[in-house]
Parts: sequence; structure tokens; C-alpha cells
Amino acid sequence: MRSIRTRTERALGVLAAVVALATSGCSKDGVRPPIGHARDIPPQHGGVLHTAFFVDVRSLDSATAFDTGSAAIELLIYDTLVSYDQKGHMKPLLAESVDVSPDGRHYTFTLRRGVVMQDGNELQASDVKRSLERVLDSGTPCPVPSFYDRIAGYKAFHNGKAKHLAGVRVTGDYTVVIDLAEPDATFMQKMALPITAPVCRTAGRKYNREFSPCGAGAYKLVRFEHGQVIELERNQGYWQKGKPYLDRIVWYLSMQSYTQRFKFEDGQIDYMREFNEADSMLYRSAKSWRGMGAWEPSMLTAGVFLNCQMAPFDNLHMRRAVTFAINRKQIASVRPGHVRPQYKVVPNAIIPESPGYPGQRYDYQRALEEMRLAGYPYDPKTGKGGYPHTIGYLAVLDAFSSQSAQIVQQQLARIGIHIEIQVVGYPTYLAKAGRKHTVQMGVVGWNADYPDASDFFEPILSTSAIQPENSQNAAFFSNKELDALLVKARDSQDQAARLGMYRHAEQIVADQAPWATTHSYRYFELWQPYVHGYRPNPILQQDVRNMWFDTAERKRALADNCLGPIRALSRLCRRGRAGSTIALALGSR
Amino acid sequence: MIRYLAKKLGWALFTIWAVITATFLIYNLLPEDPARVIAGPQARPADVARIRTQLGLDRPLTVRYWRYMTDLVSLRKRPPTGKEDSALHIGPVAIDLGVSYLKRKPVVALLEKALPPTLLVGILAIAIEVSIGALGGVLAAMKRHSVFDWGTVGMTLIGISAPTFLTGLILQYYMAQELRLFPLDGYGSTPMEKLHAAILPAVTLGLFGAAYYTRLVRDEMISLLKQDYIRTARAKGQREWIVVFKHALRNALVPLVTVVGLEMGTLVGGAIVTEKIFRWSGIGALSVDAIVERDGPVIMGVVILFCTVVVMANLLVDLSYALLDPRVRRR
Repeated sequence: MRSIRTRTERALGVLAAVVALATSGCSKDGVRPPIGHARDIPPQHGGVLHTAFFVDVRSLDSATAFDTGSAAIELLIYDTLVSYDQKGHMKPLLAESVDVSPDGRHYTFTLRRGVVMQDGNELQASDVKRSLERVLDSGTPCPVPSFYDRIAGYKAFHNGKAKHLAGVRVTGDYTVVIDLAEPDATFMQKMALPITAPVCRTAGRKYNREFSPCGAGAYKLVRFEHGQVIELERNQGYWQKGKPYLDRIVWYLSMQSYTQRFKFEDGQIDYMREFNEADSMLYRSAKSWRGMGAWEPSMLTAGVFLNCQMAPFDNLHMRRAVTFAINRKQIASVRPGHVRPQYKVVPNAIIPESPGYPGQRYDYQRALEEMRLAGYPYDPKTGKGGYPHTIGYLAVLDAFSSQSAQIVQQQLARIGIHIEIQVVGYPTYLAKAGRKHTVQMGVVGWNADYPDASDFFEPILSTSAIQPENSQNAAFFSNKELDALLVKARDSQDQAARLGMYRHAEQIVADQAPWATTHSYRYFELWQPYVHGYRPNPILQQDVRNMWFDTAERKRALADNCLGPIRALSRLCRRGRAGSTIALALGSR
Repeated sequence: MIRYLAKKLGWALFTIWAVITATFLIYNLLPEDPARVIAGPQARPADVARIRTQLGLDRPLTVRYWRYMTDLVSLRKRPPTGKEDSALHIGPVAIDLGVSYLKRKPVVALLEKALPPTLLVGILAIAIEVSIGALGGVLAAMKRHSVFDWGTVGMTLIGISAPTFLTGLILQYYMAQELRLFPLDGYGSTPMEKLHAAILPAVTLGLFGAAYYTRLVRDEMISLLKQDYIRTARAKGQREWIVVFKHALRNALVPLVTVVGLEMGTLVGGAIVTEKIFRWSGIGALSVDAIVERDGPVIMGVVILFCTVVVMANLLVDLSYALLDPRVRRR
């Protein structure tokens, strides 16, 4: 999901970067060096991970939480029946095995024995059914129950007409069968979402907002204070013997990225993801940090939607002209590293780009040719011709959205299309972009709900996604061939055939141009050398379940790293902050 | 006096009602759909529609308004333990501000949690600004046209002009990051930690107010020190500090108290930027998040609280005039 950063936060970030740069005398690199060294030792237990989000977490009840921040924490509290390995391949987790019937309509999950939930009860098949029913109950404010609308009996149960979800059958203490009314090739990915994770019996059968998050995960929730902190401790009874390694995890909330950096430099934060672009560049170019950190694969596609029901984009050639006129590399150059040019709808993390794969490319001459075909020829030498009216372009109140809008504005002006940018808050954007016959074009983005190509077509480019209000298909694009293809691909159990169908779908979008894809955004993650066992997972954001610390190295390095301008006095920080405060106060007299 | 009080209270209640109604109407007449924001930008239309129904957003505006107002203050009983309740019970009266759309917690509980941090910083900030403001203003007025006076005026100019986010960031960088005298951000757990963590945000807020109050008190004192009764006091042979602090300052405090009273509302309403910089979970941060994410019940709750505090603060200011100025008492 899209995270919302206000203009104030952006401004603060930029200002902080300037202040930090102007005042940093810490090293030639502009950043402080790593704390300690990476030693080649076997995994060990102990240590407290400190990290942070710049957003708050709305909720940690798996039935309702579906925001940016909650996903990483839910991974720690709740184990799901299936999940992803480090390469992004699906693997059973709480389920020992999963059998799928040849017609793709029956999923048999055989649970591991001896999995103890955080309330002390053993996980049984009835817990899986109860947890699913709790999520899909009509009174539960779950944001995405329709993901599971193909489960047999969903409609009756969700509308309160049936007491139980008929499609979820408990056939033994450790066996649960889920029957689908229609096959769904994405069902396993949906079962890997924390929403379906078994929750403790204390959660009851119905949603109750007083429920204290409790699952079968590696860590137990100890404290959750909105806007402040989430604290978790190791689940001593975790079913994977010897895991997890860390004693505790402290996850700060709503922390500005520059504060995160200050703390990271000091070792008060051990692992960091939310660098602002300036800081990220400093760390990436610093000699002392060379080779450290990693990019998190992007699951986002951003672009420009072109409303196919409104002039001038009801004209196919006008749409194509836009897609050819946008130079995606120029857009990406605004935030080098983080922003990458994106030529197709499905992110490369889901379907990697390969030579000859359909997509949209910058081709100025083709763009001019399409303008001519559209009936609005433009002569770049004289600047005459082009589309005679100004086109409204809707952008979001977010620094990069406004910047990319201005770049698009300049690029389109070169083919005789003049746009007027209207910047609005995100809720207003959602309302306007989703209303029929309201916005001609604007910024658009889609983040994977689950890692499957269907998630990048069905909710945003299919005819069924068109609504008079709140339409997710902001381009109001309707193509029968694409619709048929998407239905077929979703029903198919043959992964190779599905890939072929989505390739075809990409071709249709590239040709019909309801969107001009522009870029993707990725995060740079960095951790101190004493942090081990972590690499960004291709699918799961910030999966720190296997992280462990070289605690001895951390202790030694931190003792040597009491940084500060008054180096002599800074040694006092070994005695703790209160001690150093008093000592500094006394020393200054 | 009772009639005066009753009249003031009546106006106060009317003001609060008018503000609630206006906010309710503005929020609900916006073209945005809270259900879409709550469900998230990627939620499917069927799910958005269901959330709209769950929240009662599909009902007519008048029905929603009536329901909100009747729930707001009622005489309903506290439900048995274990049952969900979103109201604050004060004796037989229940005040129900609803449940946050996004945090799924009663707004009363969210405000209850956010108010102490805001009050802590607010009170500290007021203490800082009033003490610096009053002392600086008096000294500058006493040493008019001196280097101290010019220095004070110059400093106040910088203090008023410097944006809070700049002051906050500089203080955070030098005092917390470099000198480590204070925590970088956060609210702490123990009372001492909270107090320790409150100092930087309070100073950030207080410096702006201090500069403003210094100028206010200085100008007021300059005009008061020329008054006949001051000359009389001096002629009677009273010591200068008694003349200044007992006779002049007391009168100079009247405009100061007025401004402080108004400022209290602003502080409770949220030192938005300061709270964001220092990750201070007060009303300011709560209201910003609520506005950005269109969390209607929280927006309403903050407005009601803010409005009540401003109205009450004004009432107290009116009453304090009588204490500070004997002429008002006699009227």
C-alpha cells in the first residue's frame, strides 16, 4: 500500500539533511563509519534489535491490519500456513504440506503437529477455520475480504446468512480442506497473507477490537503504543526449535528519517530502511560502508493514467503519443538508485524483464508520428501545432509526485501536449481520480497486494474495476480481449501458460496505452556489521525473523563508538545517558 | 456576578455546539470518501462499499448528525466489564466521541492518551515563555536604549522569525545528537524520562513564545513606567524593584495573561511541527495523522477538545482579569 508522507515531513527531511551535512564533521564520507566488524561466527542467541518506521502502525490484529507498517510486525507475531523462502519461492510454514486438487478447487492443508500458539494451546485445524471465519465475518472491518470470495459459501457467510464458512472443512485435528467455488491461481499467495494466519483462541470467533495480537509467530507482542513503539519478545515456545535468535525487538513508530539516521549512526538503531535519498546516497558512496546494505526489490509500478473515456485520450493515438514521449530515464534520474525506470505494468520482482518483453519505450519520433495520426501534428522546429487545449493532470501532494509531474509536463510539451498540474491531498486524489468523466490524466501507482501478475491487471485495468465512483480503473479502460485473458489466467493452474497470458496482457496494455508506466521505487536497507542473518526477501518486506546479533562485537564496538564533538566527554556515555548528562552539566561549570 | 457567569457559560456552550456542527458538516460534505481511505487505496470496490455500510456512511447526513449528537452526550450506563465501550463515563453522563476509523480505538481513549504529553510540553513551554518573556521584557524596559535592550530586541526578532522546525532541528542535532544531553525523540516510560524528553520540545515551543512575550512585556512596561502612579511610588521613596515588580509588572501582566490564555488553546490544539520532530505522541501528532488520513471521529474529537479548551481558557482569562485588576472587580 502506498505510504503517505506529508509535505511537512519532506521539508523537514530536506532541512535535516542540510543541517546534518553542514554540521557533520564526523568523517570524510559525510557519515559515521560502521560500528564494529562482521565476524565469521555461527548464529547465536541474544540481543535486542532496534529499528524504526516513519509511519505509524494502524493495527496489529491480523483481521484488520493491511497497511504498510503492520505487515513487517505481523510476520513476527503470526505465522501463516504458507510463506516464502529467501528466494521468494512459496513454502509451507505452519502447514506441513499442501495438496491441490488437479482442478485447482480443493486445497488440503496438513498442519504440523506440536505447534504451540502464543496462548499455550496447540494449533489445530479448527483454529484455522475459526480464524478464517473471524476475518470473513460480516462484522469484521477487514479491508480485503473479497480476496477470498472464491471460497465456497463465502457470499452466504459474509452476508450473515450462514453460520459457518462452508468451503472451509475440518477433516481431522490437523487437516483442513478449503474448497473453492471456482479455481483461483492466486489462492496460495493469498493464503500467505497475515490476514489468514491462525490466531489464538483468545481472539474468539468474532472480531473484537480489544483482542491483544496473539498467533503462532516467533515473537510475542509486549507493548504497542501508537506513534511511539512496538516491543516484541522471543516466543520461548516457538515451534521452530532454536529460533528465533533475538531476545527482543523494539520497533519505533512515526520516526522521521533523519532521526533514524542519527540513531543509526549511534547504534541506537541497528537496521535501517527509510533513508532519505540524500542520506542513502551518502552511505552508498561512503568508503567505510562499501559493499554493505542491499536494495529491497520493488513491488510498485507507477505511471500516468490516461482517461480513455475523456478527450483527448479517447483517441488511441493520443495515448500512444504520451507513452512514446515519456523518457523514463529522465524521471528516474531525479532520485538515482531509488527510482528506476519502469517499462511494463508488472514489476520485475514478479515477472523479470527480458529482451523482447512487451513494454513502453521512449521514442520521440514515434510520439510525433502518433500525434500526427491523432490529428494534432506538431512541428518541434516552429513549435506550431499539437493539441490545442490544456489538459488537466492530477498529482498527489507528495514531493516526488509533483516532481515527476513537472518532468512529464516538459516532455509532453515537446510533442505539443500542454498539461496543467493540479496537486491535491491523497484522499482528494482518490475521490477525483476514481470519478467518471472527471480527470483526463494523472499520476497513478499500484503496489502488489500479493506477488502475482493478476494483481497488476484485474483491480486496475479490467472492465470489472470500473465504477462511476471510486473506480480503481482510473483510466476507465475497457478491453474485452484483456478481460477474457485475465479470467483465463486466473483460472489456469499451469504457471507457464499463465506467464504467456500475462505477457499477452502486457502487450495489450503497451498497445492500447491506458497507462504510461514511468517508474518503480525501491528502498535501500542498511544494517550494522554485527547484524547477521538478514537479506531483503524478494517478497516479504523487512522479514527480520532470522536476524541474529554478534552481541560481543556489538558491545565492544559500541563502547568504542561513543561519538560526539567533545570526544573526551563523550566517553561518559558508557555510563549511560543520565550519567553523562550529569557529568556534562558538572563538567561545564 | 452569577448572571455574568451564566451568560458567559451559555455563550461557551453555544460556541462549542456551533463548532461541532460546522466541523461535522464540512467533514461530511467533502468530496472524499472516508471508506476508501480506511480500506486503503488498493481495496476492492465491494470491500469499500461494505466498510461504508459498517460505518454508517451510507446513511443520510441528517441521520448521521442526529446519531452523532445524541451519542456525544447521553445518560447511558456503563456496560458490563468485557463489553466494548467507546464512551467516557463521568457519573451518569457518558461522552462518546466514537471509534477511530483507522486505529479501531475509542476516540476518548486516544485523546486521554495524547492529552498528558501535550499538556506536559504545553505547560513547560508556557512556563519557559512566560518566565523568560516577563523577566526579559522588564529588564529591557528598565534598561531602555542600552546594549541589553537592543540585544533583547534583536534576539526577540530572531526568536519570532525563526520557524519552529528550524529551532527544533538545531536543538535536536546539537543538544541531543551531539551533546547527548537529551533524548533525540520519543516520550519515555518513567515520569523522569518523560520530563527529560519533554525539555527539548518545550524549549522549542517556548523560545518562540518567549520572544513574543518579551516584546509584549517590554512595550507594556515602557508605557507603564511613565505613568503617574509609578512616579508617585518613586516619589514616596519606594525601592526601584518594588516599583517595577509590584506596581508596574502587575498591570503589565494583564495583556500577557490574555495572550497566554489564547495560547493555551493553540498548545493543546497541537504543536504540530514540534510534535512531529520530537515524535511526541500528543494531540498535534494525533490531529495531523487524522486529517491526513481523514479519520473523521478523531478529527471531530480533537476539534471538540480544542474548542472546549479555548472556550474555557477564555472564560478563565475573563475571570482572571478580576483577580489582577481591582477596577474590574468593582465594575
